[in-house]
Amino acid sequence: MRLIIIITIFFINLSGVTFSKEVNIFSARHYDSDVQLYEKFTAKTGIKVKVVSGKDKALQKRIIEEGEDCVADLYFTADAGRLGAFQEKGAFQRANSKALKKAIPSNFRSPYWFGIAKRARVIYYNPSRTNPPSNLSYEDLADPKYKGKIVIRKSNNVYNQSLVASLIANNGKKKTAEWAKGLVNNMARKPKGNDRAQILAVAAGEADYAVANTYYIALMLSGKKGTEQQAAAKKIKPFFPNQDGRGTHMNISGGGVLKHAPNKDNAIKLLEFLLTKEAQEHIVNNTFEYPMIEGVEPNKLIAQFGLGFKQDLKTKVSKYGKNQADALKIMTEAGWE
Amino acid sequence: MSLLVALPIVTVFFGFFETTSDYFLLLKNTFLLKYISNSILLLVGVLLLSFLFGVGSAYCVSFYDFPGVNFFKWALILSFAVPAYIYAYSLTAFFENYGTAFSILTYLFGTYEYNSFIPKVDGLFGSIISISFSLFGYVYVLSRASFYYQSQNLIDVGKNLGLSSKKTFLKIILPSARPAIVAGLSLVAMETLSDFGTVSFFSISTLTTAIYNAWIAFDDLASANQLSFILLLFILFLFFIENFSRKRARYHSPSRGSFVNRPKIKLTGIKSIYATSFCVILFFCSFLFPVLQMMYWTFKFPKYLQDLNFWSLGYNTLLLVFLSCALMIVFAFIANYGNRVTKSKFLEVLTTFSVSGYAIPGVILAVAFITLVSYLDSLDFVNFKSMFIGTVFGLVIVYFVRFFALSSNGIKSGYLKINQSMDESAYLLGYSKFKTFTKVHIPYLRNSVFLISILISIEIIKELPITLILRPFNFETFATTAYIYASQDLLEAAAAPSLFLISIASIFILFVSKYILSDN
Repeated sequence: MRLIIIITIFFINLSGVTFSKEVNIFSARHYDSDVQLYEKFTAKTGIKVKVVSGKDKALQKRIIEEGEDCVADLYFTADAGRLGAFQEKGAFQRANSKALKKAIPSNFRSPYWFGIAKRARVIYYNPSRTNPPSNLSYEDLADPKYKGKIVIRKSNNVYNQSLVASLIANNGKKKTAEWAKGLVNNMARKPKGNDRAQILAVAAGEADYAVANTYYIALMLSGKKGTEQQAAAKKIKPFFPNQDGRGTHMNISGGGVLKHAPNKDNAIKLLEFLLTKEAQEHIVNNTFEYPMIEGVEPNKLIAQFGLGFKQDLKTKVSKYGKNQADALKIMTEAGWE
Repeated sequence: MSLLVALPIVTVFFGFFETTSDYFLLLKNTFLLKYISNSILLLVGVLLLSFLFGVGSAYCVSFYDFPGVNFFKWALILSFAVPAYIYAYSLTAFFENYGTAFSILTYLFGTYEYNSFIPKVDGLFGSIISISFSLFGYVYVLSRASFYYQSQNLIDVGKNLGLSSKKTFLKIILPSARPAIVAGLSLVAMETLSDFGTVSFFSISTLTTAIYNAWIAFDDLASANQLSFILLLFILFLFFIENFSRKRARYHSPSRGSFVNRPKIKLTGIKSIYATSFCVILFFCSFLFPVLQMMYWTFKFPKYLQDLNFWSLGYNTLLLVFLSCALMIVFAFIANYGNRVTKSKFLEVLTTFSVSGYAIPGVILAVAFITLVSYLDSLDFVNFKSMFIGTVFGLVIVYFVRFFALSSNGIKSGYLKINQSMDESAYLLGYSKFKTFTKVHIPYLRNSVFLISILISIEIIKELPITLILRPFNFETFATTAYIYASQDLLEAAAAPSLFLISIASIFILFVSKYILSDN
């Protein structure tokens, strides 16, 4: 019995130690470079940063179930839809920070969560094979003339869900359902692989157009995926759709202060730090996302594709979360695997 | 104890009777059949391949002598060290557009568009391959142990009856090794059905995907539970078939006294080439291929290796392994010994039931655990949450629920080999039940225990979803580090932690293989 007590105490000590100057993060956005950023934050403020990273919904479940006992202060994830849906469940608390309000354009934040970096979901093509019409839109991808020419990943992918959610917000459910059916008919193959695999499929000539996020092409161009993929990526160009209309679909990665955060002030300090020039430069040069604040240039691998494109600022990213369930339903019913 | 293990499963059962939801209806009208058929195809494919690889190689190395047999005897167990998801990373990296195969071809034959010539090993086929190569080891190890201890008498009987070696194999050796083979296959089956990492990596939707989707996109635990229930029915059905068909037969080797060290049959000519090449190909595909792919990356991108915090990852991984192993072995003994001594039907059912935790996807199990702990916590008794969630303690308990099948089945198949009359003789000699256990059972089961310790250790080293959800702050293992890189689409960086994971698991295997494979 004594042994059991000793062991139990050992375990509790192993994990339950808390420091007063700390901030605890649950993160579904796990870039290695984020850890270096947290180290910079600790060096500056003396606030220790502790992280558990994992799959988005699994972490959310843990936060909700732990309730008041949850020692996490911040939750980070990619995709505005996820942040919005989590907010609906009452997981976040309001964080009043003038610095955050000033730094982040109103479209990319809510009182509960804040965008840290941006990404665009664009259409990739191989200029030596095809050139998209200058007014190509997401809506056009359902046009029968693109039959067998499009690759896009599966419907369970959250970036696709957010894209379809934004289509629902702009065109309504009925039109979007027709669109989804058209797109499924136009697919060059059954959806498989991640965003990068879609771009490579266009490079390999399996399809003419791939729908994928912007940072993937930069990842390949950077040489981090080897010289062959670097060479393949050089053949491909991103096209920013809907330039004649509302603009290209934008998404964010971001985070919010959790409802029962024990270290709320430290959490806000960390968020504010992530939106400083220093931190933003670190982020864009490691993850190849677009910066959230003015006065910071994206990495040159991204900047070379042009910075003047029209971003969709009309569709509030906070709508993605509300429409995501409908989006998945529409995609599933359309036979989008 | 079994009751504790059964609790999360019971939670799933009761979930089935909750109101049906939108997602379930939608699924029923669209993809449910497809998901179920994917699950069945995956299961059948994996079982077939693991049976072929596992029993085939075990038969070769147990009964025959051919070039390299002593090497393959233990080298084939190394396949255990490679988790299916890492195998999947390797397959994709090798065969994808502009992947490793493309690089090799470019290096050998110069620049050309090779992509259309390289077969794409992905989807359902890729999943079957990945899972089979990483799991056939269960069947291999268990059937080899059984072949090894197969009573000489049975084989002599075959010879005396004038059966050919093929007939002896089919009519005598195979049937009498059945408990071991079935134990191995049922572990493979359960792991296949609960696999999420591999199939989602290849974007194949199975029942497990549906469970995950119900839960993720629709936040609909009721549907998730209902789908889990279907999955559970699968498993119980498998158990039922196995138990039913075993009813008539009892599998005891007559006694160890008559065990004779039987010389192996020496293969010559074409037959020995067949045997050797079968084993070479199996060893290459199951172990060398993923390891070489990971090494290629590690050398090509050495920066990631330098960044790796080896000592802390290693310490965390081994801590989890050690604690879980100790806990599971002790309780597997208690449960099986209880069954044997009391012969209680109820206990037997409960044990069967509790081992089905193995078939429930780790993610679902972890969440069921969190829900359960939250409920207990609300009773205001002790602060359960801070004790169990986000602690090593909690992790070990959920591992226990998940992998108890492994230890329990292993000890069970060991026990089946000890004749009941041994116990009776011991009682006649005036041994108490406890003394019979320590003096008779434990010495006989020593090999089983070593074997099971490896199996559990390897499972824990490879385990991902439970560790991801329940681990403490700043607590990483090799598996979680590999996952984090892979989820950033940097499989290259995942190579170094994967390689360490495989190495540690391999060392573990080699260290204990002496005991499993020792010929006395």
